[in-house]
Amino acid sequence: MSLPIILATLRQRFTSPMRIVILITVIWMSMIPVILSPGSGFSILGDCYFLALTIAAGMIGQDVSSGTLQLVFARPVTRAQYVFSKWAAVTLGTWCVIALECVLAGIVMLVRGAPVPWGGAALYLANNALLALGTAAVMALFSALVPGLGDLGLLFLAFLSSQVIGGIGSFRNWRLAMRAAEELQRSLKPEIELWSLTHGHPIPWSMVVAYFSTVALCLAIAILLMNRKELSYASSGV
Amino acid sequence: MPPRASDPGEVRPPRARTGSTRRDPAILLAVTIVLLALRVALHVQENRAQPAVPPSAAVSDKVQWRSLESGVAEARTTGKPILYDFTADWCAPCRLMQREIFADAAAAADLERRFVPIRVLDRAREDGRNPSWVDSLQARYRVGAFPTLVVAQPYAGAPVIIEGYLGRDYTLDRIEDARRSLRVRTMMPALPDRGR
Repeated sequence: MSLPIILATLRQRFTSPMRIVILITVIWMSMIPVILSPGSGFSILGDCYFLALTIAAGMIGQDVSSGTLQLVFARPVTRAQYVFSKWAAVTLGTWCVIALECVLAGIVMLVRGAPVPWGGAALYLANNALLALGTAAVMALFSALVPGLGDLGLLFLAFLSSQVIGGIGSFRNWRLAMRAAEELQRSLKPEIELWSLTHGHPIPWSMVVAYFSTVALCLAIAILLMNRKELSYASSGV
Repeated sequence: MPPRASDPGEVRPPRARTGSTRRDPAILLAVTIVLLALRVALHVQENRAQPAVPPSAAVSDKVQWRSLESGVAEARTTGKPILYDFTADWCAPCRLMQREIFADAAAAADLERRFVPIRVLDRAREDGRNPSWVDSLQARYRVGAFPTLVVAQPYAGAPVIIEGYLGRDYTLDRIEDARRSLRVRTMMPALPDRGR
């Protein structure tokens, strides 16, 4: 991994006015349920998927469309290092935002006189840390495919496809289609539901393996795509 | 004049860029292939360990009971609530409910349309113990009697639990009430769920 790329990516992500506005809005919206019902614990905050998408959108694609990629690869950096660094930066950035959200929720609970469930906070952080890691990997894959913020469009299309396939499968009672839709959705939003531990349920191995296989697959394909990407100063970048 | 080796702005010769900087991640690819193979193997194993249709449902039910895993996945995909039927082979009211509701084509079709049905068959009396997923679900929904129907939906707060069997119409009405109340709660996730 390359520290300069990680730092540059973090700077790029957190100096974008649009991103900052969206992040503040999302965090503020997530505080409303906590203010209304401070005793409900951290699960009421929901998950960090939208936050992760906001930070990850265009993580590679924006470098392609802005022409930064040519400059980066003029340095002695391997393309795998570049992808890993981008992934790490986005994950790190999301973790920071989640931690901030968690701290704010804790303060709201304290101010409203509700007990702060520390175990719940740890579980919330761990659950969302894994979700952020997985989402960043998926977005790395989509972002390596299309320039700019096209990765969001691809993600939307993929979700839409899974809904359509699942809907048709459910209507026609086609198990295979329902299964395919489930796998697609699980891959688009890779997570390990640690919440089930609070109900005394063990986490199934299939969920853990599905999560890590998705992350590894997305990163591997993203690196392969980047390795085959031809860059030229004369062209538009792809 | 050739650029200095330490120059941060040094432009690498083409050979270096097409060689080492584009090395494919062999280890990552190997790990990915192993994990994907494991993923498929685990799914196959789970599907074998958990039959899609429990033995007691096979005879006369018109409801297509889902296995736990595929049912939960279907509920997520379609947004339908899950209808758990906690039952046991020795339970007489359960058999009555099975005959009057689950074996009735119209009622079964209606349930299939609105819910994802999952049957949780208790085998403690026959086999001495239950599969772990049955114990887990019974503990989660505090099932103390049979039959018990549970209508649950992810992110909809507390599930609705219907204990016992008090006739076809009454039970179907209660199930529909439960579905409606969950629908209202999923539309207002931020509201505090008092009285739990």
